[in-house]
Amino acid sequence: MAEKKDELIKLLGAENVVDDPEVLNGFAGDQSFAAPNKPLMVVKPGNADDVQAVVRWANQTRTPLVPVSSGAPRFRGDSVPGIEGAVIVDLGRMNRIIMIDRRNRVAIVEPGVTFGRLQPALAKEGLRLSMPTLPRASKSVLTSSLEREPIMNPRYGWSLSEPLRCLESVMGNGEMFRTGELAGANVSTSTAGETKPMPIEALLEKRKKTQESALYQYGPGQFNYHKLVSAAQGTMGIITWASLRCEVLPKAQKFFLVPAEDLDSLIGFTYKLLRLRFHDELMLLSRSCLASMLANDADQAAALEKTLPPWTLFLGLTGRDILPEERVAFLEADVREFARSFQLTLETAVSGVTADPVAATLMNPSPEPYWKLRRKGGCQDIFFLTTLNKAPEFTAVMNRLAEASDYPLPDLSVYLQPTHMGTSCHVEFHLPFDPENGAEKARAEDLFARASKELSEQGAFFSRPYGIWSDLAYGRNAEHTDISRKLKKIFDPNNVLNPGKLCF
Amino acid sequence: MALPREVYEALEAIVGPDNITEEPATLDSYAYQWMAELVTDVSGGGKFFDRAEAVLMPGSAEDVQNIIKTCNRNNLPYHAFSTGWGPWAASPAKGQILMDLRRMNRIIEIDEQNMFAVVEPYCVAAQLQSEVMKKGLNNHISGAGAGTSVLANACCFQGGGPDVIYFASPQDSILSIEWVTPEGNILTTGSKGSDLGWFCAEGPGPSTQGVIRGALGGAGGWGVVTKIAIRLVHWPGPKQIPVEGTAPAYRTRLSPDYFKAAFLAFPSFQAFADAIYRIYDSEIGYIVHRQFVMWGDELQAAFLNIVTDPTKQLCDLEELLKKPEIQKLTEEMQRSFQMILAGMTPRDLAYQRKVLAEILKTTDGWNIDFVDREDIQQYVLLFMLRLCFKSVNFAATGGFIDSYNSVATPDVWASGEIEAGKKLLKKYAGRIADAGDQAMGPIGGQGGGGCTGWEDFVFYDPADPDSAQAATEVSDEGDVLKAKQGRPPGGMLLGLARATHSDVNVRSKKLSKSPEYRWQRRIKEVLDPGSVGSGNYFWGAEPEKE
Amino acid sequence: MALEDLRAMVSRCSRCSYCKWIPLAHVKSWRFAKGCPSVEYNKFQSYSASGRLCASLSLLDGRSSYFDEGLVDIVFKCMLDGSCDVACKVNRYDLEPVEVMRQLRFKMIDNGCFPFQDLPYIEHLRKEDNMMLEEKADRGKWAEGLEVKDLTQEKAEVAFHAGCRLSFDQDLWEIPRTVVKILKDAGVDFGILGKDENCCGTRVSDMGYRGEFLKYAENNIDAWTNAGVKTVVTACSDGYHGLKRLYPEEFDFKFEVLHITQFIERLIQEGKIKFTREVPMTVTYHDPCHLGRRGEAHVPWKGEQKKIRGQILVYEPRKPRYNGVQGIYDTPRNIIKSIPGIKLVEMERNREYAWCCGAGAGVRERYPEFSAWTAGERIEEANATGAEAIVSACPHCERNFIDAVNERGERMKVYDILDLVREAI
Repeated sequence: MAEKKDELIKLLGAENVVDDPEVLNGFAGDQSFAAPNKPLMVVKPGNADDVQAVVRWANQTRTPLVPVSSGAPRFRGDSVPGIEGAVIVDLGRMNRIIMIDRRNRVAIVEPGVTFGRLQPALAKEGLRLSMPTLPRASKSVLTSSLEREPIMNPRYGWSLSEPLRCLESVMGNGEMFRTGELAGANVSTSTAGETKPMPIEALLEKRKKTQESALYQYGPGQFNYHKLVSAAQGTMGIITWASLRCEVLPKAQKFFLVPAEDLDSLIGFTYKLLRLRFHDELMLLSRSCLASMLANDADQAAALEKTLPPWTLFLGLTGRDILPEERVAFLEADVREFARSFQLTLETAVSGVTADPVAATLMNPSPEPYWKLRRKGGCQDIFFLTTLNKAPEFTAVMNRLAEASDYPLPDLSVYLQPTHMGTSCHVEFHLPFDPENGAEKARAEDLFARASKELSEQGAFFSRPYGIWSDLAYGRNAEHTDISRKLKKIFDPNNVLNPGKLCF
Repeated sequence: MALPREVYEALEAIVGPDNITEEPATLDSYAYQWMAELVTDVSGGGKFFDRAEAVLMPGSAEDVQNIIKTCNRNNLPYHAFSTGWGPWAASPAKGQILMDLRRMNRIIEIDEQNMFAVVEPYCVAAQLQSEVMKKGLNNHISGAGAGTSVLANACCFQGGGPDVIYFASPQDSILSIEWVTPEGNILTTGSKGSDLGWFCAEGPGPSTQGVIRGALGGAGGWGVVTKIAIRLVHWPGPKQIPVEGTAPAYRTRLSPDYFKAAFLAFPSFQAFADAIYRIYDSEIGYIVHRQFVMWGDELQAAFLNIVTDPTKQLCDLEELLKKPEIQKLTEEMQRSFQMILAGMTPRDLAYQRKVLAEILKTTDGWNIDFVDREDIQQYVLLFMLRLCFKSVNFAATGGFIDSYNSVATPDVWASGEIEAGKKLLKKYAGRIADAGDQAMGPIGGQGGGGCTGWEDFVFYDPADPDSAQAATEVSDEGDVLKAKQGRPPGGMLLGLARATHSDVNVRSKKLSKSPEYRWQRRIKEVLDPGSVGSGNYFWGAEPEKE
Repeated sequence: MALEDLRAMVSRCSRCSYCKWIPLAHVKSWRFAKGCPSVEYNKFQSYSASGRLCASLSLLDGRSSYFDEGLVDIVFKCMLDGSCDVACKVNRYDLEPVEVMRQLRFKMIDNGCFPFQDLPYIEHLRKEDNMMLEEKADRGKWAEGLEVKDLTQEKAEVAFHAGCRLSFDQDLWEIPRTVVKILKDAGVDFGILGKDENCCGTRVSDMGYRGEFLKYAENNIDAWTNAGVKTVVTACSDGYHGLKRLYPEEFDFKFEVLHITQFIERLIQEGKIKFTREVPMTVTYHDPCHLGRRGEAHVPWKGEQKKIRGQILVYEPRKPRYNGVQGIYDTPRNIIKSIPGIKLVEMERNREYAWCCGAGAGVRERYPEFSAWTAGERIEEANATGAEAIVSACPHCERNFIDAVNERGERMKVYDILDLVREAI
């Protein structure tokens, strides 16, 4: 252990190698039910060369690495070491916003950049990033996109990886690799005689001369490598920067709440909006979900729940570059007509809750404590992909299972996020629980396990298979599992990157 | 050299005797290809690549599986294709078999609510479009046009086209894929692989769809894709596009409340580029493409007058070019591109038209009157919405390739590359068609806009060896000029034609320097250990010596 | 032009596959998007027009032999219906797919490479002047009881050429008999050759036997000349195509040629035919290939291909396009629509991009299964319109449809336009 520490200090400097027990405890577990496992050390690389050095070292010493970009509280279990003796690679120091290009609507960020830092920087340039709903303040932008977290605006979901475009990765075998249009023979020879990619800043500068940017994410060549590292939980490569396609900053916005007594009555209307792309932000929230998002604590949430409708569709309409108000106006006129045809109404306030502040809440990083923890102090999510028309069925299944577990239904909340231009829907159930209450925690854990299994049997697709979902998901597709393992062997032959996750 | 009989019989047992042949003229009908005459160093010249040993037509994914397994057992390279328009469809080398996928041509499913369709390889875009339009939907059509395979364009080649700004690049529109792997297993990606329906492309975890295609697909030598689910978009038009007119001037009458074709012209290429950015930012446009300049900026106006008039032919070109109104139109169209606006509602179209007017105002651009003439408006709408006239690329001389291409951000239009491309083509004018700037390409480039660019067309006569030679010289000189500027090579089509018929080891040596090609090779070696997926297109750098 | 003269042309096929489909602008469904029966049935690329252009070059280059076993099947398993030609020419001005395929057939026959199925038909043709395998002596029986001028004995302005199918296919005799009635009622000075009528030669030309065709064409021209005929009227579309296009191509052919539908339309316009009886029926009209896209008149042309602007291929002077647009499409429809009680519905593939009936160019004789399949596909398409009857203007189409309907146990009725006219007058 001491030897390893010394070796790492030689690579990164003493201040960037930490074995303080409190720090290690912070990475030993997270908010999920993943079995805790204390890492050996935490290292903090400052740049891609550092990352490469660590990965090469890990291969030489056969030391497992767990890359982590986001700060606590973490929820998925992916950053909890799966085996003993792991070293956490905390990428938080790598937090540069490398580039923002308004004209081409693209930015490049390192893994430690959070939404709270990036959005204001983009706004200064007249841009904004498509974001997931109410992310936690410490969430890494890069990881969010890399892990295929759904964004609020389905019509910017050209693919499930949007807004992720090109990336630089140190693969599990220590090779540095770039994807998309930033790959290619852009080499320079280091003083050590080793061939390395040109530093990104120099590369971007060079490419300006040929009017090239960082938007084309496919390839290089005949594979889409950005897909092969997506939702990988750090098992294939450690991403050291990524380019992200940005939206033009809105000049006009209007937000609406569409209340409904039952979920079914919102489905047709939602499909209509998705079909015509007459929406920006678009999601469906159960009463308790919206309450939890807005409230500071459990009591406030309970008070809101007394008057909020069972379901609320949150809709944003936006105008950007030219005639922005007119865009909002025509969309509103058309959408109101659609709503009427579905016996729904567009409201700017519902039960004392006004749309604009709701928007301000949902569309910004969560203040502390993270909103999911405010109700009870702990929370486990179950999320998967399906199609929107099946969401009511799944909600009914979850309700039934919760009831059967004696889980308090008012606590169970549902967030439905249409994704990929409306072709699929992210269904997310939140199970708040008091982590200090053993019985509650056990009940939540039991419900989580049973519900995950039953939902999988009912057709839930765990596209992002964290924790116990990975067996459920990989168990259904043998050839995919086989090929995934073969790819893992190519990219990470010694299995140093986050072993024990996914099917590895 | 004929296939060993036991191998032939094994293949025959899979597909049935009616679906396999060694007949020479039939084999030659597959060996004959567009551009074969340009790849003389490989094929020995002429219109024919190497003959396949046999051509098979599988009827199902199981057939394909069994064929691939047989090929692996017998070290017999195979190559698959759908409609086969391109040199990458011919057998890459001697001693291989071809799989003609035309029996696998179904539309399996159309999910209207979730907006996707599931198709087999030989369902062409026109067929899918006609069925999905009945449900108020529309599908991406690759730049190669309505007669090409939806599946092959999405998975096996490049697949971009005029509509990607709204419809998305096909790579992004692919949902689940059913792929017979190079070892003869079946991988179904995404949600369908878990038997949950076709709706999701990715997962679980890292998306194995990433090994089926990248910037380019495997062009028939990387397993065989047997089904895909592909995302659709809304179609605000009628259930069936009405067509009237006399060939070739077919046209369509669509409601002006929902559709408008525009020819946007600009005083400079800088204004042209600026307008593109504003189109991106304001998110208007259903189809945006610089289409008709494929005939040359000096000839496109005259050509448009020919193809929209059933009484006219190419012999009318010179007369037309003398007319003042054609000369004026030629001048106007020099720095122009085409746009189809489709309003999802009448208010939407009205808004988009206003935005477009604003964009034109701020860039000193204008909508060319010519396109507002009723018959032209109707022709352009049909052309761009159905992309049903694409063999017109060959109308002028019988052959074309691209040469001085660019793929970059919209500012590339103002970089001088258009002028440089025109200069290059002019250098060879006479041996190739003398048409001017022929830089045709998708303005949108990606969903929502992003990378754009063009192919610089070269019209040559495939029956004239000197003309064919000139076409290769243009492409090669273009590549040299591009390399000097640090740009990627210009000629995609000739490059791919050569790559699909070249010695894999020779190409590998050229690519050894770049790390990404080492990955490509490694993945190929692991997933296709038998290496019978006809891999000449599918190159990769040599593995590093241990 | 012989096949050797078409080398440059066949080198310019781009492999776009448009020849396999109807013009893509017109595709209305997955099911009825296909245009070429040959490639749909036989599947290999060689069975498309493109495939035969490739095969032609392969032969010209000596890469394959006229005597290769499978070549006969490839070359002759096609109705020369011309769907490929129409689709190709929507965008191409320099390719002539049907012409290449014709020349390829001539070349094959010249080399003695022909389908063995031809033997009885050619032999019979030479003996009895028809390929219906009937005796020449019976040829005039359809006209028994009708008082019609015998053109071997008398002169007349108009010759009604009944054609082989109508002369010998008893089920269809009401058609030529209706023609006679119409012409008589209109006071036309016309006659027939009866038992002395010979085959027009169109079918045998399409089959590849140019020598036989020339013989019959010459013979017919002599017969009409001797009879003082100025106009030849036919109710057979095969014959119409032969007279309108093939005869003038080879001979100094000065006769006016009319299809009976053109004649009837004229009479309607002049008020000389009145439809007084209702025919309450929903029908769909099948465009015979040889009346529609292959029914365009021959246009004399002597010119050359040259290049302008470097490499752009043009013809000087302007060459007739033969892209199907000048065929007879509206005339039959106008007749149908003017019959009281009739509702005309269109199949998806119609006019210049209609699906073939399967009978032409020797396919019915040589490849009966393929022929029947093709007809069956068309009946499916007619069924899809909801029509009770399929109506055409060619006895070859009608016979093929009748057989297909019977074989499949379908309820679709098959009529010639003249059947409807007869009902209505």
